[in-house]
Amino acid sequence: MPFRLNRRHMISGMASAAVLLGSRQAVGQARVQITEGNVAPLPIAIPNFVGGTPSDNEVGAGVAKVITNNLKRSGLFAPIDQAAYIEKITNIDVPPQFDNWKTINAQALVTGRMTRQGDGRLKAEFRLWDVATGQQLAGQQYFTSPEYWRRIAHIISDQIYERLTGEKGYFDSRVVFVDESGSSQRRVKRLALMDQDGANVRYLTRGADLVITPRFSPSTQEVTYMEFGQGDPRVYLFNIETGQREIVGNFPGMSFAPRFAPDGQRIIMSLQQGGNSNLFVMDLRSKSTTRLTDTPAIDTSPSYSPDGARICFESDRGGKPQIYVMGATGGGAQRISFGEGSYSTPVWSPRGDYIAFTKQGGGQFSIGIIKPDGSGERILTSGFHNEGPTFAPNGRVLMFFRDPGGNSGPSLHTIDVSGRNELKVPTPGFASDPAWSPLLS
Amino acid sequence: MRVKVDKTLAASVALHVLVIGWGLVSFSSKAFESIPEESLPVDIISADQLAHVTAGMKTGKKENPKPLVEKVAEATPPPEDTVGKIDEKKPPVVTDVAPKEQPKPDDKAAAEAAAAAKAEAAAKAAEAKAKADAKAQAEAAAKAEAAKAQAEAVAEAKAQAEAKAKAEAKAKAKAEAKAKADAKAKAEAKAEAKAKAEAKAEADAKAQAEAKRAERVFDQSKIAALLDKRDPSRHAVTGDTLNANAALGLAHGKAADNSATWGSMFKSQVERCWKKPYGGLEAQMTEAIFSIKLKRDGTLEATPTAISNPTTPYFRVYQESALRAIIQCQPYKLPAAYFDEWKFFEPVFTERKL
Repeated sequence: MPFRLNRRHMISGMASAAVLLGSRQAVGQARVQITEGNVAPLPIAIPNFVGGTPSDNEVGAGVAKVITNNLKRSGLFAPIDQAAYIEKITNIDVPPQFDNWKTINAQALVTGRMTRQGDGRLKAEFRLWDVATGQQLAGQQYFTSPEYWRRIAHIISDQIYERLTGEKGYFDSRVVFVDESGSSQRRVKRLALMDQDGANVRYLTRGADLVITPRFSPSTQEVTYMEFGQGDPRVYLFNIETGQREIVGNFPGMSFAPRFAPDGQRIIMSLQQGGNSNLFVMDLRSKSTTRLTDTPAIDTSPSYSPDGARICFESDRGGKPQIYVMGATGGGAQRISFGEGSYSTPVWSPRGDYIAFTKQGGGQFSIGIIKPDGSGERILTSGFHNEGPTFAPNGRVLMFFRDPGGNSGPSLHTIDVSGRNELKVPTPGFASDPAWSPLLS
Repeated sequence: MRVKVDKTLAASVALHVLVIGWGLVSFSSKAFESIPEESLPVDIISADQLAHVTAGMKTGKKENPKPLVEKVAEATPPPEDTVGKIDEKKPPVVTDVAPKEQPKPDDKAAAEAAAAAKAEAAAKAAEAKAKADAKAQAEAAAKAEAAKAQAEAVAEAKAQAEAKAKAEAKAKAKAEAKAKADAKAKAEAKAEAKAKAEAKAEADAKAQAEAKRAERVFDQSKIAALLDKRDPSRHAVTGDTLNANAALGLAHGKAADNSATWGSMFKSQVERCWKKPYGGLEAQMTEAIFSIKLKRDGTLEATPTAISNPTTPYFRVYQESALRAIIQCQPYKLPAAYFDEWKFFEPVFTERKL
């Protein structure tokens, strides 16, 4: 079809373009700028999940309890006590009476149902409501075997967290740590694994040999740790899913276990040679090692950035132990910490925005964070002995261990990067050297 | 599909582009200046109300009895009046307030009057002569000071005459004083009119009275002397109380905008409800804009509509938190007077500190 463009078309086209341009200049309404909100925990109501059958009520209550605990521990939510609830949720398929939830100042509401299926599996459904607008923000259902109901609760927690904060969750993750028992003279140290909230503790080693510094792979469910057997310290690679254990090698001069590269295929470590130590990278498949630094100083505790392009490490080349950053293939290193005291055990956040460290000075051990360019240093907590920070998968929360000294032993704590919300993690006994896993799903 | 373009259209477009492009390059003009119009609040009232307003009241309070002025007057003394100033050396001017006694109509009086007229004529002649004399003398004195020193006896008169001749040569209002002085000077210096001494004395007194009377006579040639030669003392309407509402406003004023008033009230109320999510680096760039309609009682007329479009999960959460705050905080207590301004506006929630 031939299209004839004549003068009339042209004029009408130009006229309509002019009209369109003119309409962009709408009448400006008065604008009021609001900047000072409060970064406050969001009030959320989590009534017990409804049981599909009466026997499912117990698990429904359990799921609600786990979710409540998770969100509360994150510091970003303020779950409302169930005793204050006016409405009892009996059917999650009809919208709740939002006025009842507005009255108790809830801004979000979680309803859910647990139903045991004919084939023995458990069906979990949940809905997340915005109380102010009465809109459903999220809704999901899952099927699982009944013993994994806790995991389902963590997954739902992550969904809620992600939908209401705009960031990835971290509840469906685990922590490996060194469980300590016995007197301070005859400590038994065992490698243990638990959910991030302290539940489901499992022991991975028997405690005959001393284990220290477990490290989680950022991408796989594998852990490296160091075990002092009868002779030299050995580095083991342990697969949590399968329970398989593999010796990475004998490293006589090693004082820390290696850390993984973000792809999980390489590990980076420091090896002591004579009076100094240097950094090396080892490919887990070929077991070949590459030297990264060659200095007369002590370079140790390396950690990869999440993109794998850079490494942060501790070095005393400037006199005192300080944190340095360099490219993943070696080369010139840039010092980023300049404070008083000494800095050690730097860990790069999975988000990439911060490097956490232990700082020693003034008779105190502190946990702090610093941006990779050396700005924004902030101490999150300090005390007699705080050490070994490890990031949650979303980089918002840190776990570390604290030793109050004396006859008692260390315990695990979490703190968020704002430094406001510090909490103790329940463990069966004394615990140290935590390492946070990536998200399980 | 083929596009056929008319040749004339192509030519027209080409020519237009050429001409407009040439115009763009060759014509330069000043940017348009838009002068902001001043707007005045207008209320529409009925004729009845107008009548009521303009009716006035007998018991009304009298306002502003004192006139308001543009300028507070300075405490300055009145300018010196050199014309009307009385010289201390001179005898006080006796003004003749009471009307002069009319002479009785009799022969003696007539003879007297005739004599008086004669004396007057004589006095006038003498005056004229004296004047000429004084002038000559003054000139002589100015030319040769030695002559002045010699004439010690006439020094006083001369000095007087000199002063007069110099300062008030033109002031004819003082003719009488001059005449007197001149007569005296003449009598002393020349001693010519010995026989007429008495008559002269009489004539002198008469001449004085006559001169005074003559002064009151309107002389058209002396209008200039009647003019007020003082400097003008008034430049603005001065006084001690300024007019507070003299001006109606600036010529480049803007329309009434009270959004700062009710906006900050809205802001403080909504901020109490706003629990914003914690954000990392990206939080610094967020900005959520809504369009809201409020009813007179401060409640929302409809659910606020978001104008901004969230691009990241964090931005979406941020915007939702702001929406929650707007809904949760109603009703808003805002000044009813500005309802027309706040019934429809756009709150902007942002982390950008301006």
